Amino acid sequence: MKLSKRSAAVLAAGVAGAMTLSACGGSDDGGGGGSESGGSGQVVFGESTDFPENLFPLISAGNATSTANIEAQLFPQTFEVQPDFTVKWNEELLTEEPVSEVTGDTQTVTYKLNPDAVWSDGEPITADDFDVAWRMQRSSDPANGGCPELLSTSGYEQITAVEGTDEGKTVTVTYSPPFADWQASFTGNNSPLFPAHVVDAPTQEELCAKVAAGWPIADGIPSDISGGPWQLKKENIDVGGQIAVLTPNENFWGEKPKVARLVFQNIGNDPTTAVQGLSRGELNMIYPQPQLDLVDQVADLAPNVESEISFGLSFEHLDFNSQDPHLADVNVRKAFALALDRQQVVDQTVGQFSSDAEVLNNHIWKTNQPEYEDNAPAEYNAANPEQAKQLLQQSGYTLGQDGVFTHPQRGRLAIQIDTTANNPLRQTTIEVMIPQLKAAGIEGTFNANTDIFNGPDKPTSLIAGGFQAAVFAWVGNPFVSAQPPIYQSPQGDAVGQNYARVGTPEIDALFAELIRTTERERQVEITNQIDVLLWDLMPTLPLYQKPTFIAYSSNIDGVVDNPTQAGPLWNASTWTVE
Amino acid sequence: MFFFAVRRILASVLVLLVSSFLVFTLCAASFDPLAKYYNLNPRPPESFFTNLREQLGLNDNFFLRYWHWLSGAVTGDFGETINGTPVADQLFGRILVTGRMIVAAVVIAVILAIVVGVIGAVRQHRPSDYLFTFLVYVLIALPTFWFAALLKEFVAGGVNDLFGAQVLFTIGEETPGLSLYASGWELWSDRLGHLVLPTVSLALLSFAAWSRFQRSAMLDVLGSDYMRLARAKGLTYRRTVVRHGLRNALIPLTTVVALGIGTLFGGAVITETVFVWHGMGEYLLSNGIGENDINVVLGWLLVSAVFVVLFNLMADLLYAVLDPRIRLA
Repeated sequence: MKLSKRSAAVLAAGVAGAMTLSACGGSDDGGGGGSESGGSGQVVFGESTDFPENLFPLISAGNATSTANIEAQLFPQTFEVQPDFTVKWNEELLTEEPVSEVTGDTQTVTYKLNPDAVWSDGEPITADDFDVAWRMQRSSDPANGGCPELLSTSGYEQITAVEGTDEGKTVTVTYSPPFADWQASFTGNNSPLFPAHVVDAPTQEELCAKVAAGWPIADGIPSDISGGPWQLKKENIDVGGQIAVLTPNENFWGEKPKVARLVFQNIGNDPTTAVQGLSRGELNMIYPQPQLDLVDQVADLAPNVESEISFGLSFEHLDFNSQDPHLADVNVRKAFALALDRQQVVDQTVGQFSSDAEVLNNHIWKTNQPEYEDNAPAEYNAANPEQAKQLLQQSGYTLGQDGVFTHPQRGRLAIQIDTTANNPLRQTTIEVMIPQLKAAGIEGTFNANTDIFNGPDKPTSLIAGGFQAAVFAWVGNPFVSAQPPIYQSPQGDAVGQNYARVGTPEIDALFAELIRTTERERQVEITNQIDVLLWDLMPTLPLYQKPTFIAYSSNIDGVVDNPTQAGPLWNASTWTVE
Repeated sequence: MFFFAVRRILASVLVLLVSSFLVFTLCAASFDPLAKYYNLNPRPPESFFTNLREQLGLNDNFFLRYWHWLSGAVTGDFGETINGTPVADQLFGRILVTGRMIVAAVVIAVILAIVVGVIGAVRQHRPSDYLFTFLVYVLIALPTFWFAALLKEFVAGGVNDLFGAQVLFTIGEETPGLSLYASGWELWSDRLGHLVLPTVSLALLSFAAWSRFQRSAMLDVLGSDYMRLARAKGLTYRRTVVRHGLRNALIPLTTVVALGIGTLFGGAVITETVFVWHGMGEYLLSNGIGENDINVVLGWLLVSAVFVVLFNLMADLLYAVLDPRIRLA
């Protein structure tokens, strides 16, 4: 064993030596980077969602939060969603606010592009870039020359022409019929403008083939192209290490970033890792799903770390399946809602994060959106078990000996409330509801349903309809065209996203008007009318908005959380690091 | 010896085949890679679902799907993830990441286990034995994630405060973006600074259990007749313990370590998560199971199983080296 003894000694010495060396080396390294990263002007963003596999945002492979964060300021958008949920035209890309005009069944929108606006390779941004974005997204039907990989064709399918004048710097987009969310076209991290000279192809098939392949992360963005303040060069993507580094776009015509590097490091969703990384200065910013102990631990890092809770557009709600014999009766749905004390649900869940948490009383708009109106009838503002019982008795229910109502035909009023598995927030929500329901004679039970979001082949999924009530979230936005599928009457088997499977002709008619209405004031009127009707129909019951949480080193100036799809990095080019 | 190895390899291939089929069956039955798109609002057009189903081969017969995967895997093509990245590209990079993390850890753990095990056995029931036993049981009882968090909080914090600079790092393999503007010594020292804590964490936790095996094996050997004979022949105590005792007592440890390394390659899942190393364990959990991606799970299974088989084979061969009686004709 002489040999192994000797080699063991060598190995031990080597390891000890390596550790010593790393210690020495590390100490002189600390001056250049690490905790003093501010000196070299960089911000390290700890991304908690999966590293992107594809950077092309129109297809499923590129449909990731991490991709949207990286591309928040890479491709130009005509409008930008602000942290206060309003929509503002892009003053760097355009010279004046776009104008929309409707004549008859046709809508024209005119964009005046900034003459200085160019892609990072010097090519001007012109009508051609609008045109290629339209041709890529106008249809998803291959028979019709469409690209089936597209996640959405919303709006683009209504465009009939894109025309450029003034050397392409004035762009006229024609819709027929008019599109309510015309501001959402060529807008958002997931449908910005694309450089025609890079993405276009001679035929529609070749264009679709390019769409299908997207931009795999290992190859980077073609020609490292950018039309925003930042640029992602292929050499700055480390796929194995899951790191992407944005650097300023030298050819950006507007105000250039003040920070030399914006580093995305994938850190997974372990809260302890995020907090310790932040406290050691290895990370400068995190944007994780808020959890109570995470929020508390970050609060302890003040004043070196600042943090903020906002309430975003994602909201939890209760869906009543009207195919259930009990819940088919509007009185039962209303009794269910009357039994609940939603304020208590909020206090026990999101209220723990922030005293700003509120009960959500609108199906379409969120409390902090300017369009929000509290349309909930007063009786839903607190638990109202007596009124709930009256409604149930009206419908022929009688209170059984165990304190639960029963119906001669429908049986015992026991409702199973489904939700996703492993989601403590939703589980608490339902657990708070159960005793409240009991007080009104309704037996509620909790069920973690792993198939809830699956396809129609799984019988208990929302789409297949094998559930009674369900708690899950929708993500709202400042636009309106995503709303009809949720609340419009189902047409036969085509329920869309109306998992309650109930609607009225009146609501349908209002939606039909809404999706063709281009004036904002009228949109707000219609949506709030719809909301009043929804409270009376009670297909779903809104509960509360979910919080977003941002924490960052206090030496970064200019950070403003944008709790919409625009994300926390929407204004990263304006940040400064002390 | 050669035929023995060949026989073992053939048997392993069969095991791999059966296990891949079982895992394929389980994944095919429970994974729905389309699930996350149904509730996008607005929902993607129907042609999107048709196309994706076609592209992922979900419309094909179950056995046909398995055959597609198997025939690809045999030629080294592990298919693509649901997002179109070749699985093989990721797998090999990730083995290197995990490998980098565990190699030093295993070496340190084995040395420590032998030293502590032998001392514990030779000095049984003495204070040093009790002390090591106590420490080792504390380490065995510590959950990995907590031990790692303690290391980050106190060791990283303490060392960094001591040097007044960032010496030890808690996230990733290198300071992100450093390779863009630094090279040579600065880069390598930074990587070492990132390597220390995960290595220490893995080494201490693996060594703890291994040292108990070593101690009990050594105790068995110390009481045996040939040890007494060796002493009676006039050999020194040290020589008997090391040459006659330790050599025999290493056999059980070899098995345990070989199996341990094989499993570690499959993923030191928790250590990788806590220190944010994008290795094999993370690949299985977040990219495979988390994304409902059958090709990733199968690719992971195959590669990790190969490592388990390989290290078992090595253990068998090592027995023969350590114990001439085991050598086969």
